[in-house]
Amino acid sequence: MPKAKTKVIRKDFTPEILVFCCNWCSYAGADLAGVSRFQYPPNMRIIRVMCSGRVDPAFVIKALKEGADGILITGCHIGDCHYISGNEYAQERFGRLHEIIIKQLGINEKRVRLEWVSASEGKRFADLITEFTNQIKELGPLKVL
Amino acid sequence: MMEGSVLVIGAGIGGIQSALDLTELGFKVYLVDRTPSIGGRMAQLDKTFPTNDCSLCILAPKMVEVFRNPNIELMTYHEVQKLAGKPGDFTVTVLKKPRYVDEIKCKGCGDCAAKCPKIEVPNLFDMNLGKRKSVYIPFPQAVPPVYLIDPELCLKLTKGVCGVCAKVCQAEAIDFDQKPQEIELKVGAIVVATGFDMPAKNLSSRWGYHYENVVSALEYERILCASGPFGGHVLRPSDQKEPEKIAFIQCAGSRDLHEGVPYCSSVCCMYTAKEAIITKEHSDNSQCFVFRHDIRAFGKNFYEFTQRAQKEYGVKYFQTKISKIVEDPETNDLIIHYEDLKTGTFHDFQANLVVLATPLVPSTGSKDLAKILEIELDEYHFFKEKDYFNKSKSTKDGIYLCGFCQGPMDIPETVADASGVAGQVAAFLNSVKFDHIKEKLEVPELDIKATDEPRIGVLICHCGINIGKYVHVPLLAEYVRTLPNVVQCEDNLYSCSSDSQTRIKELIKDHKLNRFIVASCTPRTHEALFQETCQEAGLNKYLFEMVNIRDQCSCVHMDDAEAATQKAKDLIRMSVAKSRLLKPLKEELLKITPTSLIIGGGIGGMSAALNIAEQGFKTFLVEKESFLGGNLNYLNVLYPIEENASDFLNETIEKVNHNKNIQIFLNAKIGDIKGYVGNYIVSIVDSKNETHELSIGTIIVATGGKEYKPKDMFQYKKENKNVITQLELEQKLKEKGKSWLDDINRITTILCVNARQVEGITYCSNICCGNSIKNIGLLKKLKPELEIAVLYRDLQMAKKKYEEYYRERRKDAIFLRYDLDNIPIISKVNKDPEKYNIKFYDTNLQDFIEFNTDLIVLSTPMIPADNLEELAKMLKVPLDRNGFFLEAHVKLRPLDFATDGIFLCGCAQWPKNIQDTISQANGAAGRASRFLSAKEIKTSGIVAEVDPVNCIGCGKCESVCPYNAIDILESAKDYEEVSLIVRKSFVNSALCKGCGTCAATCPNGAISIMQYDFDQITAMIESYLLEL
Repeated sequence: MPKAKTKVIRKDFTPEILVFCCNWCSYAGADLAGVSRFQYPPNMRIIRVMCSGRVDPAFVIKALKEGADGILITGCHIGDCHYISGNEYAQERFGRLHEIIIKQLGINEKRVRLEWVSASEGKRFADLITEFTNQIKELGPLKVL
Repeated sequence: MMEGSVLVIGAGIGGIQSALDLTELGFKVYLVDRTPSIGGRMAQLDKTFPTNDCSLCILAPKMVEVFRNPNIELMTYHEVQKLAGKPGDFTVTVLKKPRYVDEIKCKGCGDCAAKCPKIEVPNLFDMNLGKRKSVYIPFPQAVPPVYLIDPELCLKLTKGVCGVCAKVCQAEAIDFDQKPQEIELKVGAIVVATGFDMPAKNLSSRWGYHYENVVSALEYERILCASGPFGGHVLRPSDQKEPEKIAFIQCAGSRDLHEGVPYCSSVCCMYTAKEAIITKEHSDNSQCFVFRHDIRAFGKNFYEFTQRAQKEYGVKYFQTKISKIVEDPETNDLIIHYEDLKTGTFHDFQANLVVLATPLVPSTGSKDLAKILEIELDEYHFFKEKDYFNKSKSTKDGIYLCGFCQGPMDIPETVADASGVAGQVAAFLNSVKFDHIKEKLEVPELDIKATDEPRIGVLICHCGINIGKYVHVPLLAEYVRTLPNVVQCEDNLYSCSSDSQTRIKELIKDHKLNRFIVASCTPRTHEALFQETCQEAGLNKYLFEMVNIRDQCSCVHMDDAEAATQKAKDLIRMSVAKSRLLKPLKEELLKITPTSLIIGGGIGGMSAALNIAEQGFKTFLVEKESFLGGNLNYLNVLYPIEENASDFLNETIEKVNHNKNIQIFLNAKIGDIKGYVGNYIVSIVDSKNETHELSIGTIIVATGGKEYKPKDMFQYKKENKNVITQLELEQKLKEKGKSWLDDINRITTILCVNARQVEGITYCSNICCGNSIKNIGLLKKLKPELEIAVLYRDLQMAKKKYEEYYRERRKDAIFLRYDLDNIPIISKVNKDPEKYNIKFYDTNLQDFIEFNTDLIVLSTPMIPADNLEELAKMLKVPLDRNGFFLEAHVKLRPLDFATDGIFLCGCAQWPKNIQDTISQANGAAGRASRFLSAKEIKTSGIVAEVDPVNCIGCGKCESVCPYNAIDILESAKDYEEVSLIVRKSFVNSALCKGCGTCAATCPNGAISIMQYDFDQITAMIESYLLEL
């Protein structure tokens, strides 16, 4: 059973960021960032799913509950989805998720973002992670729900 | 003796698609490319029109598929040298060029290039805009992912010094002693798919290509590309500054009798609109100007795309003729001297960057290849087709043509061609199918129960020094050993090497492992390899997990080993957490009924039926009319070949009637369609109202299209006998001889009647220009003194031989240009004989013109056949907004529906000419017969599963599934005294692709997606954040 987390108090705040990548575009974009040696901050961990349409809002809520400071959902650009329209559903669902997070849980909306990254956008992936990490650092640790 | 293997020359998208389809049809493929990687031109493109899909995103999965296909022998950096033998039994000699890198040993880690002394030369993949070392990989996603040494640059090979690459290569893959090697192959058929080149250097100097800031469109693709030489920033080469004004010059050397090529390259108008749009998306400050001739945007959604470029993105189009482009030496800007054809005035235009749409020509070496293969070329050195009706047959039996090497065409046409070639090869080599196909050895699977304690093995890869240098692998391994359920953890130099595969199998056996994890590089390229290894050890492949500590740790946190190591620890821990919850998954075997149903008996349907029947499968051809042939019955003479339509039609009908494998239903319609791929039950209602129930494996939709009748437009009314449509003219020419022309002296043809409108029919229907121009010639032949005027907007004469055909007809008529702002006004000035007055604004002459005419011919667009909605509903496939059928993917799956087992071709998809219809028909037949040849297919284990207890039957999952894999079924359920109708969701695992959208949509958590289920992902989240 999950134990309550003892959050280590560090001098510098090192955020914990969860990134969902779809198998076909954004994960490939992350791969290209790697192959191209584009450097970005080491504070995020990727969970690969087949499609951004797979990302259940419950995963996001769960991660926030367990102490993630920021969550990034990434997928193929609209129109590029390997599964035709999965990313469109992800977008639609994300809109509603945002409503919940902002309005009901009182979490800063900047902490949860949906972004599109193509397989050739290695640089963009690295830049996105850098920018998002900096943003989360600025926001500081998320107080556990 | 026939050989059951095929040589495919050229591994661009055409060659790749052919190869993939051919293996599925039962043939071993040797895929030869003279460059070091597959991917061809498409790999160089940034995006693709008209959807702006990322080119590599859609191509790379296919490249990996080729790489992993056991029945494709990848022969990159090879060249064809000799051909002997006869069709069905060829012997081909290919030359293997030395890479100086052992492709089996090389792991593509890149240590060699990192250490190679800095002699950098232009990189051909980046159109010489980027740099590479002397040991290099053409581009990061190259397949095979193997380096090679440039012998002209390498210090070791030229001067005998250096050799540092050999010292740093831990895989010992560098081999300076490699020599060219001749290899002999036995093949039954050959597919030529050598594509095009874009040699801007040969252009006349007036185009200014020698200036630094004048680039070819292909160079501009690389500039736009996020992984291109400027990292996706739009910069101009001279000073790497962002250009503000970018001029796109169309037809720079095309449609040019004097200095360039006489033909139209067919794709430039579209890629230019795309490049302009992407430029605007990159930088709002940029201004894009297109100096055009005609706008040739005749494909599906093409014209609308060019309109969007102008209206939404503010791209400015000028109708011009360019006289010269010169550089301003001060600023390196370009001055374009041009004539504005709309005003007839001369101007100078200053641009910061000029992009030239230069001619696309058959790739260099086509002539030599033609000589080797003894096949003919046409006057422009495209490979010549044997006859007009089958553009993929070369002039020699057993050798087929695919894609741009035969004539200008875009990607979907090439892909359709590729599948068509595969279908035709399959018919040709039908007797030796599966002769050389490797059957996988099935190892009995270990019996692993959900209740068994997980025993996890982990292998951590150093990837030479790629991971090892930046991640502390021994520490990592030590940490992983402390994780619960990890029974064994080892680290090694290269996990992908063949000795590592042996080791993995030993570990599974010796330690009775029931889960395995490899922490190395990306699952996108390597997961299938390790899964196969697991299977060889009897471990269900879904009990394997992969962690990417290379691209996500060592490569991106190079100056923070501690953080990179910590991240690797977390990622492996998360994977272990998921691994514990993995279940062995079953891949169901699905029997395929080896029959095909073809809906529509036009030329498309008949061609598809013939191909499938020739492959030996029973085919049912259903036609709603009482005769076969569809629209071809109404056509007179075909262009540009000038043959009678009826000759070809009768010949085809004859073939269909005599083929024992084809059963024809005339006057028939589809009553009902049930089932799924391989297992359809279709009822057909025939002319006697009798119902036939058929078991069908695959379905091809070939319902064609029809001409739009312009009721009440341009005086098209019942009482006006001399205002007719193009098809009506066609029929007159076919049936009435020439006496009907006695009283007619002047004829006016109006093109784009109710086509390319702002609202209503917004599209260009592709075939009308050519058809009208053909009829001009025929009319003039019948009555040479006729005066003919053609009112046009843009002339779509982009196919092979069309431009020339049009140029010849110019002498037969005067061509007058109008635009949408000034639609011709027609009034009837005399009743008997009928006479009409036409008044319109001629945009070339810049003035109103008015004249009388005796006959008006209206060219209207082709529209979809009647009652398609009903059919679409039965098939559960979508229509597009114009009412044509919507294919699965406009670029790479032009003949498939998203639903497996159903295909389309011809005008059901989009208006097209006979040649392209037949090419698509063969393609659809090739795609459809893959399933029939396979006899049974394996479904993926990664599918959705519904828990009926939690399912509330709301139907949300059904509505989001793009593959129609979910049905809500009703059944009666008795509760003590009452009987209730219960709705539950059911997943058809044969159709499910495992995207998981349904699972995320289900409001009650009733759907699990195998391998990515709720508990598994939650476990990963907890493991990360709670360090479990």
